[in-house]
Amino acid sequence: MAFPLPRGITPPEISFLAEMEMVTILPRQRLEGLELLSGPAEPLLPPRRTTLPLWLALLLKRQRRANILPPSWLHPESLSLILDIETQHHEYQHAFSPPPPLPGQPSLRDRGKRPVATPRYTPDGGRYFPAPPFLPQNVTQDHIAAGEPPSLPFHWLEVGTMLLDAASDDLVDPDQTRRLLKELREVRTAKIRSGVDVLDAAASGGGGVALTGVGAMEIGEGRGFISGVVDGLRKIGASKEQARREQMAEDMANGGYDATQDDEDDMEF
Amino acid sequence: MDIDDILASVDRNDASSPESAALDHQLLTRFWVAERGVSELLPWPGALMARITDRVRKQIETIEDLAASSADPHPPTNNPTLNLKLSILQTDLARTQYLIRSVLRQRLSKLTSHSMHYLLRIAPADPSQPTTQQPEDSIPDLASVTDPSPLSSQELAFLHAHQSLLAGHYGASFLSSFPPQLRRLDDNAGGTSMVQGPDAREVVFVRCLVDEVRVVVPPGDGVEVETFGTSMRIGDVWVVRWEGIRGAWERGDVEVL
Amino acid sequence: MSYYDIDSILTDGQKLPCTFELEVPGLGILEGNPGDKINAGTRIDLPLWLGEMLSIGARLGTSRLVTLDIPSALSERVMNALKADPRTVDLRALAPHFYSMSERVLELFEEEEMVDVLSNTFKKRAAAIADHAHNPKGALGDGVEFLRGLDETERQLFRVAHDSAKETRIWAGEAKKK
Repeated sequence: MAFPLPRGITPPEISFLAEMEMVTILPRQRLEGLELLSGPAEPLLPPRRTTLPLWLALLLKRQRRANILPPSWLHPESLSLILDIETQHHEYQHAFSPPPPLPGQPSLRDRGKRPVATPRYTPDGGRYFPAPPFLPQNVTQDHIAAGEPPSLPFHWLEVGTMLLDAASDDLVDPDQTRRLLKELREVRTAKIRSGVDVLDAAASGGGGVALTGVGAMEIGEGRGFISGVVDGLRKIGASKEQARREQMAEDMANGGYDATQDDEDDMEF
Repeated sequence: MDIDDILASVDRNDASSPESAALDHQLLTRFWVAERGVSELLPWPGALMARITDRVRKQIETIEDLAASSADPHPPTNNPTLNLKLSILQTDLARTQYLIRSVLRQRLSKLTSHSMHYLLRIAPADPSQPTTQQPEDSIPDLASVTDPSPLSSQELAFLHAHQSLLAGHYGASFLSSFPPQLRRLDDNAGGTSMVQGPDAREVVFVRCLVDEVRVVVPPGDGVEVETFGTSMRIGDVWVVRWEGIRGAWERGDVEVL
Repeated sequence: MSYYDIDSILTDGQKLPCTFELEVPGLGILEGNPGDKINAGTRIDLPLWLGEMLSIGARLGTSRLVTLDIPSALSERVMNALKADPRTVDLRALAPHFYSMSERVLELFEEEEMVDVLSNTFKKRAAAIADHAHNPKGALGDGVEFLRGLDETERQLFRVAHDSAKETRIWAGEAKKK
């Protein structure tokens, strides 16, 4: 059975996923609430703001039935600040700027606080922790906590690009926004490419490489290459890994193995 | 289970509420991304798919009713938003159908590229070698199978029929002219197995959703127990081996990106 | 070794220097003398699959028919060149399936240093591959020569990096679908 797509969702599919992000709109006409397969959509009652999935907001926008209120991170001022973090801060020289925290995750200011992730439960009894695109990372916030630096949401490139395409008249300064998005993309792509050097950390059992802060489209662009390099390194190192495991088995048999010392080197990009 | 878990589980939504539609949609979306990203076939989420296909069926009825009322000139509809409503409902339906179709196609693609692997995983081959050796003899008997997991029962029926056709085709085309001992499709001669499975060591991109997840190294190479490797923290995105976080994914502690 | 993988099958045919430890009647065909015997001490290049099979005795410590040697593609000289500058070595000329063959050889010989040299080579060249793959104009200048010298694993890496960069550009509206 032919399935033409490679492993991992592709750019058009990532875009499709990003269209599930919730955004804030200002409706220009009334419409009753709808029960959609993707969940309930609130009624449109101008001039009351409401939040809708991006695909629906874009559908209304294209028919001039609503305006989209851009998320605060898409403001040129926020983007410049983020670009500063990406380029000027020593701490993020090889890493991405920190993403918005997940629910229950302490924000950057509260680093050191214990995270308290609280699950929802699925009808089948499984635990469910919501994550993008199902978090309000692209809705407008009435107030932003003081001292909280702006951050790029997981679907930043897709949401930004789509809003520039379909709703540039709703953005503060579309030209500058476009320029800043492009710069951010270049700076961050360079980080991915220079990260090849630490990829061996993901090539051995129990290891891994952190890409925290990476965007969905950036994963889409780098997935094939990064997986290819890691799998290549794993195969070259297979004999060495096997020898190490056999040594470990021997140590365990002799009672000399200490499980707490098994931490692999983990590297940050 | 601690007290929070118990409290959270008692206010579960009932399946017919709009909120549970939203949750199921999120679960389907997450499952789709994972199925597209992982080398091996993931366990079929039967209950979720049953709820979603049921909602899809009802939504199609709703749309048909609406469309009929907009086409009916008597009495003339004076609802100007009807067409807008229809186009929204249809877009939403098409998006859901895309997800379902992509999940199914991806699964069939995994099944057919490793068909013998999955058949043997569900029903081990009969060790008693039959006297006649035909390609079809490699296909295990599924009569005693009660649990088709990770496949759905429809997928298992498909896979069995698919592999039987394939074996028959190979036999008729060329294998029947081979010596009987060379006609099987699950041969192990020369140290190379004909039965190929997906590689669980291939890496995936994951996000850690709980306080901490430790990457595991499954038993192997003489080490008999599972050992632990590096740690991921909440909100982290990592590139790791699938086999290292498969358990965490099953618990819902990480999501595949 | 993967049953249906063409690259794996082709890797199986890559040659390895083998030295016969015993005189074997009738195997002269390997030297181009059909019907003749092969003498003890004869050194010939045999495909991986055959060399591996004939050396099994040696690995079990019983009677050894042949002993294996490291192929010239992985010689000391090549390792030194790779240590000096991994990007200037034409791997394809050494062996079209250079890395796949190395993996097989490393299963037969304990060569930890070779693992390190090859890992480093693969990483350094992968970084260069990524740079070339992201160039929408294609390879230019000495890039052409570098790309020509990629082994099969690297070619696949180049293809996947190039394709995903292109897919992303098409999505962003910067490139047209072919």
